[in-house]
Amino acid sequence: MRKSDSIIIIGSLMVVFAATLAVVYWPVFTIPNRPSDLWRPLTDLEERGRRLYIANGCTNCHSQYIRPQDWGIGAERISQAGDYYNQRPHLLGSERTGPDLAQEGGEHSDDWHIAHFINPRFTSPRSLMPRFAYEGMDNIKALVAYVQSLGGDDADARMEIQRRFHKEAVAAYERGPDENVKWLHSRVPKTWRAMPSESPATEASVARGEKIYQDFCIGCHGPVGDGNGPAAEHLYPPPLNFTILRRHLVDGKYIGGILYYQIMNGITGTAMPYFKKHLESAKIWDVGNYIMVNFINWRDDQLPTEGIPASYEGKEAAPVSEQPQPGPTEPGRGGAR
Amino acid sequence: MPFWRRKDSAALVFLVSGAVWMVVGTFAGLASAIHLVAPDFFANIAWLQFGRVRAAHTGSVLLGFVTAMLIGGAFYILPRVLGTKLYSEPMGNLAALFFNAGVLIGDVALLGGLSQGREYAEYIWPADVLIVIAFLLLSINFITTIIRREEPLLYVSAWYFVGAIIWTSVVYPVGNVMWHPDTGSQSGIIDAIFLWFYGHNILGLLVTPLAVGIGYYMVPRIARAPLYSQMLGIIGFWTLLAFYTHIGAHHLIQAPIPTWLKTVSVIDSFAMMLPVATVLINWWYTARGRFSKFLVNPAAKFLLVGSIWYAITCVQGPVHSLASVQRVTHFNNWVVGHSHIAVLGFTGFIALAGMYYVLPGITGRRIYSEKLVNVQYWLVLVGLIGFFVVLSAAGLIQGQAWLNGATVYRVIPELKAYMVLRLVSGLPIIAGAIIGLYNVIMTLFRGELIES
Ligand code: HEC
Ligand code: HEC
Ligand code: HEM
Ligand code: HEM
Repeated sequence: MRKSDSIIIIGSLMVVFAATLAVVYWPVFTIPNRPSDLWRPLTDLEERGRRLYIANGCTNCHSQYIRPQDWGIGAERISQAGDYYNQRPHLLGSERTGPDLAQEGGEHSDDWHIAHFINPRFTSPRSLMPRFAYEGMDNIKALVAYVQSLGGDDADARMEIQRRFHKEAVAAYERGPDENVKWLHSRVPKTWRAMPSESPATEASVARGEKIYQDFCIGCHGPVGDGNGPAAEHLYPPPLNFTILRRHLVDGKYIGGILYYQIMNGITGTAMPYFKKHLESAKIWDVGNYIMVNFINWRDDQLPTEGIPASYEGKEAAPVSEQPQPGPTEPGRGGAR
Repeated sequence: MPFWRRKDSAALVFLVSGAVWMVVGTFAGLASAIHLVAPDFFANIAWLQFGRVRAAHTGSVLLGFVTAMLIGGAFYILPRVLGTKLYSEPMGNLAALFFNAGVLIGDVALLGGLSQGREYAEYIWPADVLIVIAFLLLSINFITTIIRREEPLLYVSAWYFVGAIIWTSVVYPVGNVMWHPDTGSQSGIIDAIFLWFYGHNILGLLVTPLAVGIGYYMVPRIARAPLYSQMLGIIGFWTLLAFYTHIGAHHLIQAPIPTWLKTVSVIDSFAMMLPVATVLINWWYTARGRFSKFLVNPAAKFLLVGSIWYAITCVQGPVHSLASVQRVTHFNNWVVGHSHIAVLGFTGFIALAGMYYVLPGITGRRIYSEKLVNVQYWLVLVGLIGFFVVLSAAGLIQGQAWLNGATVYRVIPELKAYMVLRLVSGLPIIAGAIIGLYNVIMTLFRGELIES
């Protein structure tokens, strides 16, 4: 072997080894290998779900680490090295075609996940996620167990709340539709109950609401608001039939505040997600107006409110005395006066 | 004489298999792209599910197409620059067999739901073993060829070829954590560091030096001019090795890994401009005043444009390794755009250049149709420019929207048009791949014989 050859072969291999030592093995020995405050081991079922997650390449669309800048996904807990303790392989991911899942556990109820895995368009009409019905119910349950464990102890705390309210929600549902609505409304704080829609249900507002409804709600509550969207058969309690709300107007007239509050916060324990991360306040009012006008056949947006109208609302929010009394609207004619 | 003993048969097998994998791989890309436009198109077909088929896409194009085709070129070129013959054709063919079996088994397993879940290292252990055996065989073959050479001087191309093969023989098993056959991984955040050590070096220490080696062979020949500087080539070689090996962590800039590791990776990402510059200066100066020669030869066109993509990639690369830039570009289609101009634009173009350049030498036949090479060139080029523009734009939209607090779900509808355009841009690339394969096969059987 000529000298120049050995320099290339042996010399360059030595550089590779040195680099491996420096940037791979040095970290192995210096990064403290201990669990973070919220780490916990997975159960067998969760571990099975994790295997399915790997087998189906979920990492190609989902990351599992939250960065400080991720305020869009509610960056309450920035991921730490210890969160990944003992995970083989790591599943940090490098692309977010779908949302980050580092703190997914407890964000949704189990039945939401089941409907979602069967067909993501059921719960999230604009989703790009593949259907996983081919895995069969058994595996889907394992996947659900796994995603509900993401976030460790924090996820468990959220799941605890989900389970507690799930019992209440089921009990209420089984008492009949009207009792159910009473229970639902009992969870809304008082000030929100006797509150009309704070944003006039103009034609434009209802049109915006319709778009939002189609992008977010239609798979569960259905195109006609009767709660019979394609997801419904997988959900218990099933999505609310909005039309019955007409019987439950607060003080015989208010519903806007309740809609807003429920859409914003979701109904923990049921498949109804919270939308405050997805939708800004004006959009929540808009979709509430859409539901009010089209499905409940009632509008309360002209009732007096305690607040000051936003300037853009103009004539719509003129002094109450000049406005017509609230009342039913013609179905399907959003916002027409 | 049986085929596997024939001169240049190993080169031929690698080249043809590369052309086949290009077709297979781009179809897997097509399936992925269709999914992102119409997620219910392949609804409930397990093996065509996005998560699986995308991994098969990256595996097939990165290893099956680009790596194999570049190795094919190297097999032909190495003995020529050394003034000797290849140490062992059968061993080369055996390596091709192991390599292709590895990619095939790896891909089929991925589609069937057997994956190690680590990006670019998804292949299961048996596939890894086959591929490592292939690299060990290649190492023995290349090193022995070098040792037996007559030419006293070792031309830069040979440096790069041998380097790429022996480094990968180390990087591949280490990065794939092959001593853990069941998971193929370390535990926790350390595993991420291992993975990206692998993920970056499979690009930087395998396909990059192979492509550079092929370029160093072709440029002076096409330009009919001596290489501008042998010294620059050698500087480029050592600096590539010194810097590239350290920058895997720039894929983890925002992840919870030690800060010093991120700092080193960003600094060395900028330092990478040095080896890249040595290559480009060397090639372009060699070709100076003779660029017209590159435009009349279809193989040379691929090479020239490949070098331009290399320049673009490696200006983009250091910039988006900066933490402040990654705030916008990480996690979205921007990076996918970078991947395609890098792997297809730079290494893929040069792989094709190499193939068309050496094929007549191997088969004794002219390329069946130069016109089809030109057609393929334009198809792939147009598609790739489309990819780059569309994906970069989509990435910026995603990144900015997220930074403004929009949720991932809210941004999906905005991407629709871009995903459609990406699908459309992919079609010419696939057409190009098919035309290329057709042309290669026709050359083997119908190409006009070259009179010697
Ligand atoms: C094509 C990319 C893609 C693949 C592959 C994919 N997902 Fe998704 N995923 C998405 C998108 C997009 C969303 C957001 C819309 C939605 O809710 O469906 C999402 C949403 C989710 C959510 C709900 C997040 C939330 O709280 O809103 C979970 C949980 C989830 N995916 C789990 C998985 C699992 C588990 C797998 C693998 C079995 C998987 N995903 C595979 C794209 C993907
Ligand atoms: C995954 C299915 C699902 C989706 C998606 C969904 N909901 Fe619901 N929603 C439910 C379920 C289930 C209930 C009722 C729970 C119960 O009866 O205990 C409910 C209840 C409600 C209520 C409670 C009404 C009240 O009087 O308390 C409102 C308002 C509501 N949904 C609005 C929406 C809007 C608006 C959207 C879209 C932005 C939406 N929902 C999307 C499942 C869903
Ligand atoms: C100087 C040269 C280069 C630098 C500094 C560089 C830098 C980077 C960085 C920082 C990323 C990560 C981006 C992110 O995740 O946000 C990246 C991704 C990538 N690079 Fe490069 N790059 C360079 C050259 C190349 C070359 C030559 C290739 C291919 C041959 C390549 C292929 C890729 C691929 C495929 C990815 C995507 C990885 C993934 O899936 O996340 N790069 N590059
Ligand atoms: C031979 C040429 C090609 C090469 C070398 C190539 C390479 C790659 C690489 C390296 C990635 C990983 C990107 C990343 O993780 O950052 C990727 C992803 C992808 N490629 Fe290709 N590709 C090629 C052709 C195509 C074609 C023709 C199409 C489609 C029409 C396509 C569609 C895709 C899609 C959809 C993804 C997934 C992107 C995502 O996850 O969002 N590719 N490709």
